[in-house]
Amino acid sequence: MSQFTHKRVNRRSVLKGAAATGLGLGVASSIYLPTAFAMQEKRQVLAWTTHGEPDLTALHTIVDAFNEQSSTTEVTLEKVEGSETDSAKLITAVRGGTGPDAYMLDRFVVAERASSGLLQELTDPLTNAGVDPDLTTTYLPFAAAEASFQGKPYALPFDADTRGLFVNLDMIAEVGEDPARFTLDADPLTWDELKEIMAKINIEDGGNFTRFGFVPWHEQGWHYTYGFSWGAKFFDAEACAVTPDEQAMVDAMTWVQNYANEYGAARMQAAVFNPEGSPPTENVFLTDRIGAMVTGDWFFSSINKYKPELNFGVAKLPVPEAGMESVSWAGGWSWVIPYGAKEVDGAGEFLAYMAGEPGQRVYTKETAHLPTVEALMSESDLFDEAHAKYAEVLLPLSTNRPPLPVGGKYWDELTAAYQAIYLGESEVAPALESARKNTQDVLDQYCPID
Amino acid sequence: MSAPSTALPTPLRRSKWSITKGERKNILIGLAFISPWIFGFLVFLIYPIIYSFQLSFTRYGGILPPEPIGWANYTRMWNDEVFWKAMKATFTYASLAVPIGVVMAMAIAIAMDQPLREIPLYRTVLFLPSVLPLFATSFVFMVLLNPNTGLVNQILRSIGISPPNWFGDPSWANFSIVLMAQMGAGQIALIFLAGLRGIPKHLYESAMLDGASWAQRFRNITLPLMTPIILYDLIIGISGGIQVFTQAYIITDGGPARATTYLVFYLYNNAFRYSMQMGYASALGVVIFLITLVLAGVTFLTSKKWVTYDLT
Repeated sequence: MSQFTHKRVNRRSVLKGAAATGLGLGVASSIYLPTAFAMQEKRQVLAWTTHGEPDLTALHTIVDAFNEQSSTTEVTLEKVEGSETDSAKLITAVRGGTGPDAYMLDRFVVAERASSGLLQELTDPLTNAGVDPDLTTTYLPFAAAEASFQGKPYALPFDADTRGLFVNLDMIAEVGEDPARFTLDADPLTWDELKEIMAKINIEDGGNFTRFGFVPWHEQGWHYTYGFSWGAKFFDAEACAVTPDEQAMVDAMTWVQNYANEYGAARMQAAVFNPEGSPPTENVFLTDRIGAMVTGDWFFSSINKYKPELNFGVAKLPVPEAGMESVSWAGGWSWVIPYGAKEVDGAGEFLAYMAGEPGQRVYTKETAHLPTVEALMSESDLFDEAHAKYAEVLLPLSTNRPPLPVGGKYWDELTAAYQAIYLGESEVAPALESARKNTQDVLDQYCPID
Repeated sequence: MSAPSTALPTPLRRSKWSITKGERKNILIGLAFISPWIFGFLVFLIYPIIYSFQLSFTRYGGILPPEPIGWANYTRMWNDEVFWKAMKATFTYASLAVPIGVVMAMAIAIAMDQPLREIPLYRTVLFLPSVLPLFATSFVFMVLLNPNTGLVNQILRSIGISPPNWFGDPSWANFSIVLMAQMGAGQIALIFLAGLRGIPKHLYESAMLDGASWAQRFRNITLPLMTPIILYDLIIGISGGIQVFTQAYIITDGGPARATTYLVFYLYNNAFRYSMQMGYASALGVVIFLITLVLAGVTFLTSKKWVTYDLT
C-alpha cells in the first residue's frame, strides 16, 4: 500500500493548500489574464477585395503586418467576386446585413457608390485613426479628388496607375526605325507618325495578320485615352452635363475610325485576340504578335515575370499634332468603409495603415503599381529604375476621369459608342450623341453636382 | 283529393365546392406535405415579385429608403434607346434559339431512339454536353471560337471558308450565343425521347403497310403526336430565351456595340453596376415578366390549333 494512503489530511493542511493554490492562481492570472483579455478585446475587422494574384499576396502581406503591429484590431482579408464597376456581391451583402467592414473599391466609382448610400463618410473614422480627413494634404490631387464626393472623403486612395505606349524595340529596329524615338525622354510622336511606323511591322499571311503594328483599341486604348489626348473634357460641371460629343472627342474617334477602316476592324481584332482568362504568358505583346500598345505600369511586372529578356521601350502617349503636350490618364483603387460596417473605428485604423505609407510602400514594391501618398513618390527604393522614370514622367502628364455618380453608366455608354465607331456600325457623331443622351438622362437625377 | 305526385324525390345534391370531412382532412394533410414548397414559393417568388413591382415605382439604390417617383421609370424606359436595343437583341436571340432548339432536340431524340445495340453509349454522348454548367460552356466556346487559333475557324479555313470573328463581330455575336445554347439541347431531347417512345408502334406499322415513306410517317404520325411536347418546349424555351444572361456576362460583356446587351443583362447592370437604378431595374424586371407572360399565353392559346393530343 502506498504511504500516502495513511497520511492524515487535517483542516490546517487543507487551508494551507487552498491558500497556496489561490496565491498561485492569482499570480498566474495577473500575468495571463490581461493578455487573454486584450486578445479577446481586439476588434475583428472583415476586409474584402476582388483582386486576384499577384496583387492578393501583396494585400495579405500588408494585412499580416497590420495585425502584427496593432494591439487593438485584427483584420481578416477575403477575396470575393466582383470587378471595377460590378459591386453585386457588396450591395447584396450590405443589404443583407453581412457586408464587410472594409472594401477595396475602384476609385473611379467611389462617387457613384457614395451617392447611393453604399459608403460611409470617413471624416470621423479617419479623425479617430489620426488621419487628416482633408485628403489633399497626403494624397496626389487627382486621387484625392476621385476619393471624395460632395466635398467629403468617402475613400482612402490606394494605388495609382497611368498609361504609356509600350513598344517592342526589336521590331522597331527590324523595320529600320530609330528605337530612340520610343523613350520617355523623347518628344511624343504624333498619332499619324505612330500609324505610319507601325504599318511597317504588319505581316500578312493569306488575308490574315500574323503580326500587327498597333491596334488603337487594344488593352488600354480606350475612348478616354484618345479623348483626353485630343483635349476632350467629358464633363461640363457648370452645366451639369456630360460632353462626349464635344469636337475634340469627335476628332479623336474619327482618327480611330479611319484607322480601323484602313485595315478592317475584324482583321485587326483577330490579330490581337486573346480570350478572357488566357494565361498572361499569351499576351500578344509578350508573344511578339504586336508592335506597340497602350497599357499601364502594371505591365512592367508581367514583362519582368514572364519575358524579362524582352527588348521593349516605353514612350509618352502620342499627340494629335506635333508640338502638343502628351496627355495620359490615371486610375487606381481605394479603400472604403461600406454602410452597415460593424467595426467602423477598427476599419478606420486599418484603412489608415493599408492606404497609408506602410501599406502603400509594400504594395508599390510588390506589385509595380504606383503609390498615391505624395511623400512616397520620392522614395526611390520603391521602384525599379524603369518604373521610377515612368512615374516621374507620366504621372504629371496624367489626368483622371470625371468622378461622377454615373461613372459606370458613362463608361458603358462610351464603350458601346466606341465599339460601334471602330467596328463601322455607326458614324462618329450619332454614336457619341447616343452616349451623351443615354448618360445625361440618368445624370439629370443628380444635378446640380457639387 | 289531389293527384298523387309523380315527381321523384330530389336527390341529395352537393354544391360544386362542398367537401366532405374526409376530403377536407386529406386536403389539409396534402397541404402540410407541400408546405415547405408553399413557404418557398411565397417567400422566394411571390414576395420578390410584389416587392419588385413596388420598387419599380421608386428611385432606389439598395441602401437608402426608396423614393417614390410614380411612373417615371416606365416612361423613361419607353424613351430609353438602350432598352429598345436590348429588346431587339433579346428577341433576335429568342427567335433564333427557340426554333433551332426544337429542331436540335428533335434530331437528338431521334438519334437517341435508333434500335442499335450500343445506343446507351450514344445517348450518354449526346446528353453529356447539357450537364455542363453554362459558365463552363462559355469558356469552352471562347476557346473553340477564337478567331485565330480556335478549332472551328481552323476547320473553316482548311476547307477554304473565310471564318467570321464570332464574338467580336456585332452581326455574328448574337448568333454565336444561339449556337452555344444548343449545347443544352440534350435536356429537352430526353423529354422528346420519352415522347417518341410513347407513340404507339402499331401506327407506324399500319402506315408502313400502306407504303408510307419515312418522311410521310414523320410528318403525319411523329410530328403531330409530338406537338404536346413541342408546346412544352416552346413555353420553357421562350421563358429561357427572354432571360438569356450568362453568356453576355461572361463572354461579351454586352458587346460588341450592344449586339448582346440582352434585357436581363441590362437589368443586372442597372441593379448592380449603376448607382441608384435598382428601381429602374425592377421596372425592367416587371416588363420582362409581362413579356414572358404574354408570349407564353399566346403560345398556349394558339396551341389549340396545332397541338394534337390524339390521332384517333
